[in-house]
Amino acid sequence: MNPGMGIKLSHLQSMLLFALLISIAFGFLSRRRPIDRVKYIVWSLFLFLLIGVGIGWAMYPFSR
Amino acid sequence: MADETAAPAAPPHDSRRETMAYVIGVAGWIVPGLGHALMKMWGRAVMCFLTVGLLVILGAGMRGNLFSSGGNDAFDSLGYLADLGTGTFYLVARSLEANGADVSHAGGDYGTRFLATAGVLNLLAALHAYEAARGRKA
Repeated sequence: MNPGMGIKLSHLQSMLLFALLISIAFGFLSRRRPIDRVKYIVWSLFLFLLIGVGIGWAMYPFSR
Repeated sequence: MADETAAPAAPPHDSRRETMAYVIGVAGWIVPGLGHALMKMWGRAVMCFLTVGLLVILGAGMRGNLFSSGGNDAFDSLGYLADLGTGTFYLVARSLEANGADVSHAGGDYGTRFLATAGVLNLLAALHAYEAARGRKA
Protein backbone atom coordinates (compact mmCIF):
# COMPACT_ATOMS: atom_id res chain seq x y z
CA MET A 1 0.00 0.00 0.00
CA ASN A 2 1.28 3.44 -0.83
CA PRO A 3 -0.01 5.69 1.97
CA GLY A 4 0.62 8.76 -0.12
CA MET A 5 -1.89 7.68 -2.74
CA GLY A 6 -4.56 6.64 -0.26
CA ILE A 7 -7.25 3.99 -0.50
CA LYS A 8 -10.14 4.96 -2.75
CA LEU A 9 -13.49 3.56 -1.67
CA SER A 10 -16.99 4.56 -2.69
CA HIS A 11 -19.61 5.55 -0.11
CA LEU A 12 -21.26 2.13 -0.38
CA GLN A 13 -17.96 0.23 -0.09
CA SER A 14 -16.98 2.27 2.97
CA MET A 15 -20.33 1.62 4.62
CA LEU A 16 -20.21 -2.11 3.82
CA LEU A 17 -16.67 -2.50 5.19
CA PHE A 18 -17.47 -0.48 8.31
CA ALA A 19 -20.69 -2.42 8.99
CA LEU A 20 -19.01 -5.78 8.40
CA LEU A 21 -16.02 -5.12 10.66
CA ILE A 22 -18.10 -3.71 13.51
CA SER A 23 -20.67 -6.50 13.25
CA ILE A 24 -17.94 -9.15 13.45
CA ALA A 25 -16.35 -7.44 16.47
CA PHE A 26 -19.68 -7.10 18.28
CA GLY A 27 -20.62 -10.68 17.47
CA PHE A 28 -17.38 -12.08 18.90
CA LEU A 29 -17.48 -9.86 21.99
CA SER A 30 -21.10 -10.37 22.93
CA ARG A 31 -21.72 -14.05 22.10
CA ARG A 32 -19.83 -17.18 23.03
CA ARG A 33 -21.23 -20.02 20.90
CA PRO A 34 -20.26 -19.96 17.19
CA ILE A 35 -23.83 -20.31 15.95
CA ASP A 36 -24.97 -17.44 18.17
CA ARG A 37 -22.08 -15.34 16.88
CA VAL A 38 -23.02 -15.97 13.25
CA LYS A 39 -26.66 -15.11 13.93
CA TYR A 40 -25.67 -11.92 15.75
CA ILE A 41 -23.23 -10.87 13.00
CA VAL A 42 -25.78 -11.42 10.22
CA TRP A 43 -28.54 -9.63 12.11
CA SER A 44 -26.29 -6.73 13.12
CA LEU A 45 -24.96 -6.35 9.56
CA PHE A 46 -28.50 -6.36 8.18
CA LEU A 47 -29.60 -3.65 10.62
CA PHE A 48 -26.49 -1.53 9.90
CA LEU A 49 -27.20 -1.62 6.17
CA LEU A 50 -30.95 -1.16 6.54
CA ILE A 51 -30.55 1.89 8.79
CA GLY A 52 -27.69 3.31 6.68
CA VAL A 53 -29.60 3.02 3.40
CA GLY A 54 -32.79 4.20 5.14
CA ILE A 55 -31.13 7.37 6.45
CA GLY A 56 -29.61 7.92 2.99
CA TRP A 57 -33.03 7.82 1.37
CA ALA A 58 -34.54 9.96 4.15
CA MET A 59 -31.98 12.69 3.32
CA TYR A 60 -32.50 12.41 -0.44
CA PRO A 61 -35.32 15.03 -0.70
CA PHE A 62 -33.04 17.63 0.94
CA SER A 63 -30.05 16.96 -1.31
CA ARG A 64 -31.08 19.35 -4.09
CA MET B 1 -17.56 -7.04 70.48
CA ALA B 2 -17.14 -7.12 66.76
CA ASP B 3 -19.16 -4.72 64.65
CA GLU B 4 -21.38 -6.98 62.56
CA THR B 5 -22.56 -4.17 60.27
CA ALA B 6 -19.06 -3.43 59.01
CA ALA B 7 -18.17 -4.94 55.65
CA PRO B 8 -15.70 -7.80 55.94
CA ALA B 9 -12.22 -7.14 54.65
CA ALA B 10 -11.68 -8.46 51.14
CA PRO B 11 -9.65 -11.65 51.09
CA PRO B 12 -6.19 -11.38 49.53
CA HIS B 13 -7.28 -13.63 46.65
CA ASP B 14 -9.85 -11.04 45.47
CA SER B 15 -7.27 -8.26 45.69
CA ARG B 16 -4.89 -10.22 43.48
CA ARG B 17 -7.66 -10.97 41.03
CA GLU B 18 -8.56 -7.29 40.86
CA THR B 19 -4.94 -6.37 40.15
CA MET B 20 -4.76 -8.98 37.41
CA ALA B 21 -7.99 -7.63 35.94
CA TYR B 22 -6.44 -4.14 35.75
CA VAL B 23 -3.31 -5.55 34.11
CA ILE B 24 -5.43 -7.45 31.58
CA GLY B 25 -7.54 -4.36 30.84
CA VAL B 26 -4.48 -2.16 30.27
CA ALA B 27 -2.79 -4.87 28.17
CA GLY B 28 -5.93 -5.10 26.03
CA TRP B 29 -5.81 -1.35 25.50
CA ILE B 30 -2.10 -1.19 24.63
CA VAL B 31 -2.21 -4.11 22.18
CA PRO B 32 -5.69 -4.87 20.79
CA GLY B 33 -6.66 -8.44 21.70
CA LEU B 34 -3.85 -8.99 24.20
CA GLY B 35 -6.23 -8.79 27.17
CA HIS B 36 -8.33 -11.64 25.81
CA ALA B 37 -5.22 -13.57 24.76
CA LEU B 38 -3.93 -13.46 28.36
CA MET B 39 -7.17 -15.18 29.39
CA LYS B 40 -6.84 -17.72 26.57
CA MET B 41 -9.92 -16.38 24.77
CA TRP B 42 -8.20 -16.90 21.44
CA GLY B 43 -11.15 -16.26 19.11
CA ARG B 44 -11.94 -12.92 20.67
CA ALA B 45 -8.26 -11.99 20.85
CA VAL B 46 -7.68 -12.63 17.15
CA MET B 47 -10.89 -10.88 16.13
CA CYS B 48 -10.13 -7.80 18.25
CA PHE B 49 -6.65 -7.58 16.79
CA LEU B 50 -7.85 -8.02 13.21
CA THR B 51 -10.88 -5.72 13.32
CA VAL B 52 -9.09 -2.89 15.13
CA GLY B 53 -6.04 -3.35 12.92
CA LEU B 54 -8.07 -3.33 9.70
CA LEU B 55 -10.01 -0.24 10.79
CA VAL B 56 -6.73 1.57 11.54
CA ILE B 57 -5.11 0.53 8.24
CA LEU B 58 -8.20 1.49 6.25
CA GLY B 59 -8.65 4.77 8.14
CA ALA B 60 -5.02 5.77 7.67
CA GLY B 61 -5.04 4.55 4.07
CA MET B 62 -8.07 6.73 3.35
CA ARG B 63 -6.08 9.61 4.85
CA GLY B 64 -8.45 10.19 7.73
CA ASN B 65 -7.70 12.82 10.35
CA LEU B 66 -5.58 11.38 13.16
CA PHE B 67 -5.96 13.86 16.01
CA SER B 68 -3.02 15.01 18.09
CA SER B 69 -2.78 16.34 21.65
CA GLY B 70 -2.74 20.00 20.61
CA GLY B 71 -6.39 20.19 19.63
CA ASN B 72 -8.16 23.51 19.03
CA ASP B 73 -11.55 22.62 20.49
CA ALA B 74 -13.44 19.98 22.46
CA PHE B 75 -14.17 17.91 19.36
CA ASP B 76 -10.46 17.67 18.56
CA SER B 77 -9.78 16.57 22.14
CA LEU B 78 -12.53 13.95 21.99
CA GLY B 79 -11.18 12.73 18.67
CA TYR B 80 -7.70 12.49 20.20
CA LEU B 81 -9.07 10.42 23.10
CA ALA B 82 -10.88 8.14 20.65
CA ASP B 83 -7.75 7.74 18.51
CA LEU B 84 -5.64 7.01 21.60
CA GLY B 85 -8.01 4.11 22.30
CA THR B 86 -6.21 2.09 19.65
CA GLY B 87 -3.16 1.92 21.94
CA THR B 88 0.05 1.17 20.04
CA PHE B 89 -1.89 1.13 16.77
CA TYR B 90 -2.04 4.92 17.10
CA LEU B 91 1.67 4.94 16.28
CA VAL B 92 1.05 2.57 13.36
CA ALA B 93 -1.56 4.95 11.99
CA ARG B 94 0.88 7.86 12.44
CA SER B 95 3.56 6.06 10.47
CA LEU B 96 1.10 5.09 7.71
CA GLU B 97 -0.05 8.68 7.31
CA ALA B 98 3.29 9.98 6.15
CA ASN B 99 1.66 12.66 4.00
CA GLY B 100 -0.84 13.73 6.63
CA ALA B 101 -4.64 13.76 6.55
CA ASP B 102 -6.73 14.83 3.58
CA VAL B 103 -10.37 15.41 4.49
CA SER B 104 -11.13 17.47 1.39
CA HIS B 105 -12.98 14.46 -0.04
CA ALA B 106 -15.49 11.99 1.42
CA GLY B 107 -12.88 9.21 1.68
CA GLY B 108 -10.79 11.20 4.14
CA ASP B 109 -13.86 11.94 6.22
CA TYR B 110 -14.74 8.24 6.31
CA GLY B 111 -11.14 7.52 7.29
CA THR B 112 -11.48 9.82 10.31
CA ARG B 113 -14.54 7.82 11.44
CA PHE B 114 -12.74 4.52 10.87
CA LEU B 115 -9.83 5.62 13.07
CA ALA B 116 -12.06 6.91 15.86
CA THR B 117 -14.22 3.78 15.73
CA ALA B 118 -11.13 1.57 15.95
CA GLY B 119 -10.16 3.35 19.17
CA VAL B 120 -13.59 3.18 20.78
CA LEU B 121 -13.97 -0.46 19.74
CA ASN B 122 -10.62 -1.32 21.32
CA LEU B 123 -11.60 0.45 24.54
CA LEU B 124 -14.82 -1.58 24.57
CA ALA B 125 -12.85 -4.80 24.03
CA ALA B 126 -10.38 -3.87 26.80
CA LEU B 127 -13.29 -3.18 29.16
CA HIS B 128 -14.82 -6.53 28.21
CA ALA B 129 -11.52 -8.28 28.97
CA TYR B 130 -11.31 -6.46 32.33
CA GLU B 131 -14.85 -7.49 33.27
CA ALA B 132 -14.23 -11.07 32.18
CA ALA B 133 -11.05 -11.17 34.29
CA ARG B 134 -13.09 -10.05 37.29
CA GLY B 135 -15.47 -12.94 36.61
CA ARG B 136 -18.46 -10.78 35.89
CA LYS B 137 -19.14 -11.97 32.36
CA ALA B 138 -17.49 -13.76 29.50
